[in-house]
Amino acid sequence: MPRPGFVLDVDKSTPPILFHHGEGFRLEKLPADRTRVIYPGEPLDALDDVDAEIQRALLDPLDMDPLPTLLTPGMKLTIAFDDVSLPLPPMKRPDIRQRVIEAVLDMAATAGVDDVHLIAALALHRRMTEDELRHAVGDRVYDAFAPQGALYNHDAEDPDNLAFLGETKHGEEVEINKRAAESDLLIYVNINIVSMDGGHKSTATGLASYRSIKHHHNVHTMEHSKSFMDRHNSELHHSNWRMGKVIADAGVKVFQIETTINNDTFGDALPMSVLAKREWEWSGKDRVAFVGMQQGLKRLPASTKRKIFQGHRAPYGVTSVSAGAIEPVHEKTLQHCFDQHLVEVEGQTDILTMGLPYICPYNVNSIMNPILVMCLGLGYFFNMYRGKPLVREGGVLIMTHPTPWEFHPVHHPSYIDFFEQVLADTTDPKEIEQKWEKQFAEDEWYRHLYRTSYAYHGVHPFYMWYWGSHALKHLGRVIIVGGDKRAVHRLGFKAASTLNDAFEMAEDVVGRHPTITHLKNPPIVMADVK
Amino acid sequence: MKALRFSRKPGRYVAAGVAGRLAAGKGASVGPLKLVDVDDLKLPADDWVRLRPRLAGICGSDLATIDGHSSRYFEPIVSFPFTPGHEVVGDLEDGSRAVLIPILSCVTRGIDPMCGACSAGRTNRCGRIAFGHLEPGLQTGFCADTGGGWSGELVAHPSQLLPVPEDLSDEAAVMVEPLACAVHAARKVAASGPHQRIAVIGSGTLGLLTIAALRSEDPFGTIIATGKYPHQQGLAKALGADQVVSPRTLPRVVRSLTGAFVLDGGQLTDGVEVVVDCVGSEASLTQALQVVAPGGQIVVVGMPGHTALDLTSLWHRESTISGCYAYTRSDFERALELAQEHDLGRLVSATYPLSRSTEAIEHAANAGARGAVKIAFDLRKPAKAKR
Amino acid sequence: MGHEKGLEKVASSVRAARAKVPPVRALVAQTTFPYRAPTTPLTVEPKPAEQKLLGHYDSGWARKLPARYARFFLTEGVVRPVIAGLAQPERRGLDRLADLDGPVIFAANHHSHLDAGLLITSLPEPHRHQVFAAAAADYFFDTRVKATASALVLNAIPIERTKVGRRSADEAAGLIDDGWSMIIFPEGGRSPDGWGQPFRGGAAYLAIRCGVPVVPIHLAGTGRILPKGKNRPKPQRTVVTFGSPIRADEGERSQAFSDRIESAVAALADEATTDWYSARRRAAAGETPALAGPQSGAWRRTWALTANRKRPSTAKRWPEL
Ligand SMILES: [Zn+2]
Ligand SMILES: [Zn+2]
Repeated sequence: MPRPGFVLDVDKSTPPILFHHGEGFRLEKLPADRTRVIYPGEPLDALDDVDAEIQRALLDPLDMDPLPTLLTPGMKLTIAFDDVSLPLPPMKRPDIRQRVIEAVLDMAATAGVDDVHLIAALALHRRMTEDELRHAVGDRVYDAFAPQGALYNHDAEDPDNLAFLGETKHGEEVEINKRAAESDLLIYVNINIVSMDGGHKSTATGLASYRSIKHHHNVHTMEHSKSFMDRHNSELHHSNWRMGKVIADAGVKVFQIETTINNDTFGDALPMSVLAKREWEWSGKDRVAFVGMQQGLKRLPASTKRKIFQGHRAPYGVTSVSAGAIEPVHEKTLQHCFDQHLVEVEGQTDILTMGLPYICPYNVNSIMNPILVMCLGLGYFFNMYRGKPLVREGGVLIMTHPTPWEFHPVHHPSYIDFFEQVLADTTDPKEIEQKWEKQFAEDEWYRHLYRTSYAYHGVHPFYMWYWGSHALKHLGRVIIVGGDKRAVHRLGFKAASTLNDAFEMAEDVVGRHPTITHLKNPPIVMADVK
Repeated sequence: MKALRFSRKPGRYVAAGVAGRLAAGKGASVGPLKLVDVDDLKLPADDWVRLRPRLAGICGSDLATIDGHSSRYFEPIVSFPFTPGHEVVGDLEDGSRAVLIPILSCVTRGIDPMCGACSAGRTNRCGRIAFGHLEPGLQTGFCADTGGGWSGELVAHPSQLLPVPEDLSDEAAVMVEPLACAVHAARKVAASGPHQRIAVIGSGTLGLLTIAALRSEDPFGTIIATGKYPHQQGLAKALGADQVVSPRTLPRVVRSLTGAFVLDGGQLTDGVEVVVDCVGSEASLTQALQVVAPGGQIVVVGMPGHTALDLTSLWHRESTISGCYAYTRSDFERALELAQEHDLGRLVSATYPLSRSTEAIEHAANAGARGAVKIAFDLRKPAKAKR
Repeated sequence: MGHEKGLEKVASSVRAARAKVPPVRALVAQTTFPYRAPTTPLTVEPKPAEQKLLGHYDSGWARKLPARYARFFLTEGVVRPVIAGLAQPERRGLDRLADLDGPVIFAANHHSHLDAGLLITSLPEPHRHQVFAAAAADYFFDTRVKATASALVLNAIPIERTKVGRRSADEAAGLIDDGWSMIIFPEGGRSPDGWGQPFRGGAAYLAIRCGVPVVPIHLAGTGRILPKGKNRPKPQRTVVTFGSPIRADEGERSQAFSDRIESAVAALADEATTDWYSARRRAAAGETPALAGPQSGAWRRTWALTANRKRPSTAKRWPEL
């Protein structure tokens, strides 16, 4: 029976707590009697027979007819699936997308469907490589469809393959992938690793064009998404839901499939397994493995460490598969997400600490650059709440990450320019949006790289910054422990060499003897703040 | 009279070349530059006057000579032994201050009729710099007969003097000569304008002054400057650059500003209309070719010396490289105004007495890294030597 | 005192004998750790004796342990490199086995003596070293040398070709119940002409009896390396395609289940030569080409067999300069 997540009150006997620190770790002794640590729940039990559950979901969907009855020989069928940004870290083979897609295609084969396209719904993310596509959909599907050009990446900048479907009542333009829009049935296969994913956002964002996405990926929306992990209080989701209605009204029939996975990120093989254990339960073997890993990492060059960590594949168990109409499916999925992630927390704190790991949604097989560090900390982790933010308004966020001044030249070209030019000018999201976004978004070279190479869209670093705008507005100060000083300053934050220094610096902002809360993520934990 | 004297001593010159290669400015300690007592200079003609330097700057071309890596091109247009120093503000015998316009054109050489360039007022292009009644020398500070700024006294032709207004500090006045170079370059750029975007490579003295001059000559274009060190970046911005970037990132920034594409190897498909290269090294010229727009122009203000360049892109994209040397009297007059306007005295970071020339030259050679811009010799009163 | 003297004598002779010993002892005394066991420091609590692992293991396996080690080294050290050299196998569909735990029956089509080796080395852990092969008794076990080699290398047990005999069936079922997986070629023998032969019921029977799933496997290409009747192998590319595990339905007869296994292998054959989705389409429409090939004259069978074979051109496309 997996134990749920909980809040630990740190006392004098609490051992040092493990903080993620990029491609490394820190053990930090936290001050007793005023510190809380929010521990994630242990992995929920996985489904025994995933394939049977997939069959069940497809044959008995929510508010829709069984999938086989929706499939007819002459139809146009499009299967869209989540891109390389999900899940994190990537999943051990077989990926759940592959299992679902194979089951769907088996039914399509039985029904005699010939015209099938598979589209990686990557919005403005970089295109997936052949290896990554093979990992996601499996070799069988890849070999059957890719050679004929029926398995490909979505292109949000291809004027010939986008369909304008109308505007929402708020004047938001809805433009999505033409093939998806013109299909008799669009099946969207999700991996809902956090509660932000899925729902109408799948199609309205994943398959949309820049013209459409910019209506909700902006500072105003993000400042009013409190948090974007809580869809009922997220302007980001309200906008996507409005667009979902336009898509439905335009006659696009979507068969939504959402899947959830458990917290089994690090498996049970040492040394990674120690990362999922609670510190006071580390056995001798665990400690030896951890020390060995620390010593090893200390001696390795950064690029080797990166390679090792990026090679990790998580043995996630699948906890649910739901299919059918978007809204009921998503409600069910949210329940499964919350069951795994949500931990009740009493009240806010002065200082929020977090250890940032080596990976975020936008550096799979890549480099976590300073902008992504900001986005992971102030975007994703900060927003891991329901109710109120974990840290009070004007409080301090302290995160640990080496934050090297390093960029992946192929994946993140516009990030480099954003860092060198835009952030050197200002770090204010509103000013950045108004003064710089258009130039980057419409840069033909970025467009070219996005469409033909493996680069994120030119505007993507802006979105990363907007993702953190709610936190930027809320927080009094951000401190990065162990971060490269120049890079941290460019982000507009403060660098500290130790956690204790950071606490000292934070006291300037929040006063003496502040309360501290540590969000022990990953594996994923989301605070339900009362 | 004390003077720093540069004499023709091939052995020492070679030694300076070796030392200069090891560390910038090291040529001063082993090379042919010596502090010596010299006799008073003879006036080359009756109308010449004596100028007692107050401040005399150390220029990049001086450093190249001292470190033994200036081009052999100069050999016929200098005469030994000479006293360096062409950025000079000094006292005239009547007690008034003047800035030296160091070019030794036809007038100063007693050549009549003047060469074509001089008749047209373009004294910087004078064709007689090795002839006439003076020893060869393109400027004061490279000529055996005139003396130079790094001494107690030099001789100058009245046409070489520009009176300094009362309220202009010596520090600002010593910046007028390099600023005149910058004005000359800026006027050249402006004459071919207007331009949308101009890149200035280098934020040493010349780079910074060029930014200031460009800003006043061509107020509408976007000026992108490169600056290696924080104080250079700050000054570049203060003097009118719209964007200051590290030298390494210039191509990225130009690409992003112009929306250009990039070919393998780094050549941009588009670029800025004008690149003003205030460094003149192989690296800076290569970068200039990389970021200049097709049909654009590269203006070389920094002294380049012997350089290897791949000029295929110059040919293919029909861009031009043009030199930009020195100034005319009118440039000097404009520079005098600008020096006042921009409070350029602040660019003089440190001054040394002649007795500490080795330190001074080392400081000048590493000015950027040591947070400095212009280093000068202070000849005002010996007591000031204790800094 | 004579008595004492006698003792003295004995003692002195013992001393004398001892005197001859010291060199040896000195030699022994000179050796140090790690050549002799370390001593425990006084202040340290000695480590409790380690629990004997073997005590936790089934004694039946324990007796086979040396053989298992030997087989491990033979598989990894001899068979794998040989197979890699001869067959250059490409393995597909291993992901379909991700959910398997416990014993299974691997049922494959059969072209060549290489099949068993290729198959064993293609199996994923933990099955690879926890598997036995059902081998034709009349071929693999007819002489003592062959029988020993088969048992050691393939962990083979003898199975009669013609009918599943009681004894061999019991032995196989016993091993499966003990947690071993089985490799079987249900065709009962190698293909004589490159096309398949009808599947026999043994695999289905054992799967139903032991309640384990069957993994259908298609091997392509081995027939051209070492076809029946050839002794010298010719290296060729091979493809091993693993199918999804299938289980007998409630109350399913072994012949029906056997037919399903055969069509699963046939569908894999189709998948290996075309692509997965087309194969699924044909399977759904009941149009999967039969393993046994067209029921027609010999030449047409060969003709059809070679139709989609890609023969690498030996002619140089461009002169080497
Ligand atoms: Zn000069
Ligand atoms: Zn002349």
